[in-house]
Parts: sequence; C-alpha cells; structure tokens
Amino acid sequence: MLQPLRETCRRLLQDGTVQVVIGYGQAVRAVEPYPVFITDPDDVGQLVWNEQCRTNLVKYLLRKEIRVLGKPAIVVKGCDERAIVVLEQESQIDRSQIVVIGVACDGMAEPRCEVCDAHQPRFADHTIGHATNVAQPAERRYAALCEFLEQPPSDRMAYWKAELERCVKCYACRQACPLCYCERCIVEKNRPTCLDTSATLKGNFAWHIVRAFHLASRCVGCDQCSRVCPEGIDLRLVNLSMARASEASFGHRSGTDPQAELVLGNYSQQDQEHFIR
Amino acid sequence: MARIGVLTCWCGENIARNVDVQSVAEQAAQLPGVRCSRVHKYMCSDPGQKLIRDTIAAERLDGVVIASCSPHMHLKTFRKAAEHASLNPYLVEMANIREHCSWVHPERSRATAKAVDLIRVAVAKVRHNRALEPIQVPVTRKVLVVGGGVAGIQAALDIADAGVPVVLVEREPSIGGKMAGLSETFPTLDCSQCILTPRMVEVAQHPNITLYTCSDVEQVEGYVGNFQVTIRKRARYIDIDKCTGCGQCWSVCPSKKTPSEFDYGLGARTAIYAPFPQAVPARPVIDRDACLRLTKGRCGVCVKKCQADAIRFEDQDELVREDIGAIIVATGYQLYEIGKPDDRGRIAGYGEYGYGRYPDVISSLQFERLVSASGPTGGEIRRPSDGTVPKTVVFLSCVGSRDNAKGLSYCSKICCMVNAKHTMLYKHKVHDGQAHVFYMDIRAGGKNYDEFVRRAIEQDGAHYHRGRVSKITQEDGRLIVRGVDTLAGEPLTIAADLVVLAAAMRPATGVEELAQKVNVSYDEFGFLCESHPKLRPVETNAAGVFVCGACQGPKDIPESVTQASAAAGKVLMMFSRDRLYREPEIAHVQESACAGCFSCRRGCPYHAIDPAEIRDRQGQLVRRVARVNPGLCMGCGTCVALCLSKSIDLEGFSEQQVYAMVESLR
Repeated sequence: MLQPLRETCRRLLQDGTVQVVIGYGQAVRAVEPYPVFITDPDDVGQLVWNEQCRTNLVKYLLRKEIRVLGKPAIVVKGCDERAIVVLEQESQIDRSQIVVIGVACDGMAEPRCEVCDAHQPRFADHTIGHATNVAQPAERRYAALCEFLEQPPSDRMAYWKAELERCVKCYACRQACPLCYCERCIVEKNRPTCLDTSATLKGNFAWHIVRAFHLASRCVGCDQCSRVCPEGIDLRLVNLSMARASEASFGHRSGTDPQAELVLGNYSQQDQEHFIR
Repeated sequence: MARIGVLTCWCGENIARNVDVQSVAEQAAQLPGVRCSRVHKYMCSDPGQKLIRDTIAAERLDGVVIASCSPHMHLKTFRKAAEHASLNPYLVEMANIREHCSWVHPERSRATAKAVDLIRVAVAKVRHNRALEPIQVPVTRKVLVVGGGVAGIQAALDIADAGVPVVLVEREPSIGGKMAGLSETFPTLDCSQCILTPRMVEVAQHPNITLYTCSDVEQVEGYVGNFQVTIRKRARYIDIDKCTGCGQCWSVCPSKKTPSEFDYGLGARTAIYAPFPQAVPARPVIDRDACLRLTKGRCGVCVKKCQADAIRFEDQDELVREDIGAIIVATGYQLYEIGKPDDRGRIAGYGEYGYGRYPDVISSLQFERLVSASGPTGGEIRRPSDGTVPKTVVFLSCVGSRDNAKGLSYCSKICCMVNAKHTMLYKHKVHDGQAHVFYMDIRAGGKNYDEFVRRAIEQDGAHYHRGRVSKITQEDGRLIVRGVDTLAGEPLTIAADLVVLAAAMRPATGVEELAQKVNVSYDEFGFLCESHPKLRPVETNAAGVFVCGACQGPKDIPESVTQASAAAGKVLMMFSRDRLYREPEIAHVQESACAGCFSCRRGCPYHAIDPAEIRDRQGQLVRRVARVNPGLCMGCGTCVALCLSKSIDLEGFSEQQVYAMVESLR
C-alpha cells in the first residue's frame, strides 16, 4: 500500500501535475502520524500509511499557507473524501485544480469504522489498494446515537451540562472541521455580537448548538472535532443527530453524491413539511 | 444623542377602546432617546399628518415612531409626511398597536402595557435606522402580455395605443381565447365573436404589437424594467408570411378524424387546420400528431395543393429573446374536469353525472358551441348522440364549485349567469322545448344581471329548482336526472334529452409553471395572487409583473376587460418615468466576511444574488463572493437567514436593529 502511494505521489510531483502533496508523515515522538506537505519528489519517503492515519487532511486544502504552495494532491480515505465533495458543492474548491489520491482503508480502529460504508474511495483521481464497501443500514450507522437517546431527557441534559461545563472555548473543533471555512466565524462578529462568547455553561451551549445548526445536513461525520477536543467532549453525538434528521427528512447524506442538491437553500415540492406546525 | 418623536394614534375607537392612549403617550415620553410624545385621534388624517410634520420641524427630530395600525396600511403615508418635513422617510418606524394589540387584547391594562412594549421596541429600532435613498433602475419600454384571450387582447391594445411596444404570446394557434368560442354573451345577448373578432384583427394589424402564436414563455430572467424573456415558438409547419389563408390545404387533408379543440370535441378537424374561420392570424397549423406526413412520412397532399409554397414540414421550434420592461399575465381559465382527476390527480368528482360516458351530458362550453352559428351544428341545437333536437334540457349549476368535498370551495361566479343565458338561447331556438335549472343559490350580482335571470324565468319560462342532482342515468336514449327540490321538499326526477353541466372555472394548465418563472405566488387552486385584494388588485408581489382576467380568480368578460385595462394603466404609469424607483430596504453582502458558499444564492426566491469576483490590483482573482442585485432584491430576508457567517444584512431590518429590539425588552 505504502509503496504505490509514494510512487503515485512522486510521479505527480515529478511530472509537474501538482506542486504539493498533502499526506501523512511519521512523527518523531508521537504514535499518531502528522500532516506533511511534500513539494520535492525526493521527499516522498516521508509519507506513511498505517492504522493511525485517522486525521482528516481535507481542512489543509483551505489553508492559505498551503494554497500558496501551488496545485495540491491530497491523500484521503473513503470517509474523508466526502468533505471534498461538500466543499465543491459549496463552491469552496475547484475540483479540477485538486488531485485526490484515495487510499483503500480497512478501518482505523475507531468505533465509526465498524459501521463505515466507504472503505473504498469512490471519487478519487487515483486509488491505491482495494477494499470492499458494504452498505450499512441506518440503524447501525446511528447506533451510538440511538443508544444515547434511550436515556431519559433529564439524564441527557445532565450529561450535556457536565460535558459542556468542561469546554474551554478553544475552538479546536472549529479549526479542525473541514467544513468550517468562513472568513469570519460568527463568534467573531461583534456588531452586534451574535452569541455569548464567554466560556461559561450558557456560552458553551450557545456555541455548540450554533455549531450543530451550521453543520446540520452538511457534516460528513469525519469526527475530527471530537478527535481534537482537548476536553474529550463527544461532539460526535450532536453531529450524528443532525445527520440522521437530514437523512430522515430529506434523504440527504452529506458528501455521498456530488450531484445531490444541498438541503439548505433548496426547495422541492416533495419536501416534507411535517415539522412545520 | 437621539431626538425621537413618538406619535400615538387613537384610531378613533379602534385603539382607544382597549388601550389607554394617554397613559401610553406618557410612558413613551420616558423611553431613552425620546424627545417628545404626542397623540392624535386620527394620525392618518390631514390634521394628523400636519401634527407629524410640525412636530418633526419644531423638535428637530431625527427619528419618528408612529404607534398606530399595521405598516401595510399606512407606513407609506407616514413616510411621505416625514419627507414633506425634510426628514428622510426611512427614519420613520411604526408600532402596530391596533392589529397586534387593541384588536386582539380585550383586557385594557394588559393591552396598554403591551402597547408601551411595542413602542419601546420600535424606538429601540429607529435609533439604528439609517437614512436611505430609493434605488434607481433603468426601464425598457416594452411589455410582454402572456395569453391572448379577451383580457390579454384588451391589455395589449390599451398599451399599444399608448405608443408602447407589446409582445403578445399565445399558446394556441389563434388569439381569442375562450371568448372566441362563445355564442352570445350575458346580459345583452350580443354575439361574442362580433364584438371580439374586430379586436383580434386590430391586434394583428397594430404596428406596436408583435404577436407570437403557438408559443410559450420558456424563461424569464432579469428584474423589473429589465426582463430578458425567452419565447419558444413551437413549429407550426406553415410559413405564415407566405401563406394566404386560402384554405385549399385543409379542404384536401385526408386526416379528418381529430376532435376539434375549438369545439371541445363536439366536431372533428383535419390535421392541417385553422382553429376557426375568424382565427388571428388567419393561417393554418399542422397537428404533428395527426399529420400523416409527419407521423408516417407519406401523404403531402397539402403541399401539392398549396400555391403559395407555404408548407414547411422541416419546421423546427425556435427560441426568440425579447427585452421586456413589464409583464402582464392573462392566461385565463379552463373548465373543471368533470369526473376525471386533474393533471395532478388531486381534484376529481361527479362521476355520477356520467360526463364522458353519456354523449348527451355536456359541459357549458360545449353547449356554447352547439348554439353558436360557427359551431359543429351550424347553430342548431342538436344533441351529440343522435342529432335530434332536445325537447327537455337540464342545466346543473355548481358542478365542482362551492363543494369542499370535491376540492373547490370557491364560487365560479359566472355559472348562474351562463345557465340563465343558456336557457334563453335554448328557448329562442327550440320554442316548444323546456329548460330546467338545478341551482344552489342564484348569484346575479352585477349591472342588469338579476333582471336578466328574471327574464329567463319569467319571459322564457325556464323552470328553476333549488337543489342538487344526485345521479344521472341513461334509459331508452333519455337521461334520467334524479335530484331534489328543496323548496318543495320533495325528490324530483326529470327525463331529459340533454344535460348541461356548468363546471367550475379553474386556472389554465401550466399557470403554476409560468408563475414560478415570473416569481408570482398562487393560491391552493392555482389562481395567481394579487398584491392586495382591494388596493392592489392587478399588481403582484413580483415587481413589474401584473395579472388580469381569470388567471387571478373566476370572473366574467366585463370584469376581465376592466382588470386588463387596469393592468395596462399600471404598466403605463410605471413607464411614465425614465427610471424606476425601488424601495432601498434590500439585502447587502458584507463582502469581506462572505465565505462564498452561495447558499444565499440557492435560497433566493427572486434570483437576486450572483457571484462576484474580487480581484487584486494585478487582476488576480482573490475570492468569489455573493453580491445582491439591487434591481431584483425584494428584501425578503431569506438570504440573511441562510448565511452561516452572518455576512448578509437587510437594510431597514439589520441585525443591529433586531438585536436592539430584543435587548430593549430585557
């Protein structure tokens, strides 16, 4: 797997198709690989591929300091590439100016990988390796959420209070999210201030609820936000809840179909209106 | 430091009944930023408006709150008053203490407290209002009229006579609409074609009218004063410039079995045909589904016969683009499909009347063709099944109309008069015949209308039975009509030779698609929505789009013509100035914060948002952002709600204003 990956990247850099490869590199001390940005074909040896490559690298496509390096190639898993699909739908990237290298993945030892139905990338320009995509029924994909929802509302509220109490508003969730691309986040808008920016329980609820709304029908479930949270808040549950609503009400699974119409801002005669009372 | 004036209105008793206006004014005077507080019995009256002007001048106000009725009612009035006192009109806000307060809250103390709160909110808002100037847009002096029925013809001629070019688009091969197929019209019994066809010819000959028949509106882009309309001219297979309309072609056409649309299926026509003798343009058209040459590749007799060499089997659809300043929609109506579900499968009913199964059960428009001199029977009333003259005819009112169970709750308005007319026309042609009418109520409101119905009953001897018909069956060639006479209180069975169903009026097919193209809303029945039922009856909520005739609601010929002239007048008024002035309360994108996701563009119901490119001094593309077209934006605020980064703001309803309003209630 690793050798063909390095070879593909070397070729792309050598023939000038791309100027930079965004991939996984081996950290010196940490177990988890860290992102590398390779501009020299001779450096492709830095690329690694192993069971620790959990990070979704798509966010780096948007970073200004990466953009100046030139046309990029990016290493993605089948789950990560969904974010590329959404970014293209939302006019954030020009897909023709990006080379996507999809790597088949058998799972990264994360809970979500057990219910993954995108082991094999589907929209990549170059695909490395083979894996089989097995369709997963919705009840399996949302099992973690369903289990949580079995608790009575008071318990769930107590859970979220305890979790969000710990939030320090470092906005790591925002920085890591491939779909948080606003030039100016609404928490930075101050004429007028849109939401309580203090790191209190009230302010934390405001932030996480607004974040959930902004990702509703958009989140691709890469779990990057949960992964980077220094307080270990399980934001995955919130995202799952919005994703399930989007799928149930509009038949929309974000990032799975480049031709699909986005939920926000589109209107169809077939839209369900059962929630409007 | 704000200098805001609060002017509270009694609205006679309307507000003062449930709200202590004096106390409200005293409390309002204490609000932060309020310079003075005044009351008046009728603020909209001349002395009331003078009070506004005088207060603005005397107190040098920089913001005004009028606490009175709904802004829909009088915001323009009060803004004009402020303008007269040299205050920018957009520094005036209203607190609705009538519809939102006194009319709905009977308890005086609590209504008074709420009135104060409403004023508090309005004061907080007006402190953040900005002086705005109206937006000016250029205007193309050319009008598109969609639909060439009597309403469309009237509107087109009125506008063309005023010297403004008109593009008239008609879906059928000829203009004239439903009226061209009528025999005689109520309440004067003058011949429908005799009064309409001269107008049709006038349209054809008018130098200011471009007529497109067999054509549809394909696409509408742009905005008020500056629409770009694409018209699809469907293949007619005839060169109408070469054709002389001599009629040789259709006299030899071997395909003669197609039911005539103009006679509503009572007669047949050829594959190459002119819909009716007085058609405008007086040129034939080829039915591509019936023509043997176009379907099977043989025949072509008409080509041999045509001396003008006008037949073009290779004809293709053609797209024409026109620059248009205003659009009038006059697409008219169709009849309720009796016994059959409509094109969306929603509305069905009256299978028990046997329409479509029994040939002698016909609709009122088919009856019009039976009594028309140009109709399939040459004006003799003969029943479709065997051609005999019917001696007993039963007319049924409200087939579809006023029946919630069948899906149409409204009254179709014309049927009572149509039935009365039909009984008279029948009696005038069949002297020994007897007409019966089953009705729910007789609605004959209109000049000389009730007299007309009385004449049908008293002079022409029509039997009117108040009640409905439950079933129609066929026995021995006669139709057995089973109903009830509720005034006599007994069941009534009539053996009839012919039954005529006055089916409900429904908007023409395709009007919903057209409405979506021009951004006009329509009601649950598909009738187009006017801007205000009383005060803006031909305007729509889409700027520059007007409606007239039966596409807006059921109406008869005089009303359609009146409305058409009204719409024409509105268009001419709009064209009387070089530039159009639009309300400046529209959305603005803060481009430095815009992320360019364009969800606003997807959501904008007026297609008012376009991508714009931000380039640096070297011409390099920096970013793509959303930009609002001020000519199109209606200020609805959908984009504001959709914008995730809150980079869009609505002038006159800015985030700052809304937050201030909410904060003021803490």
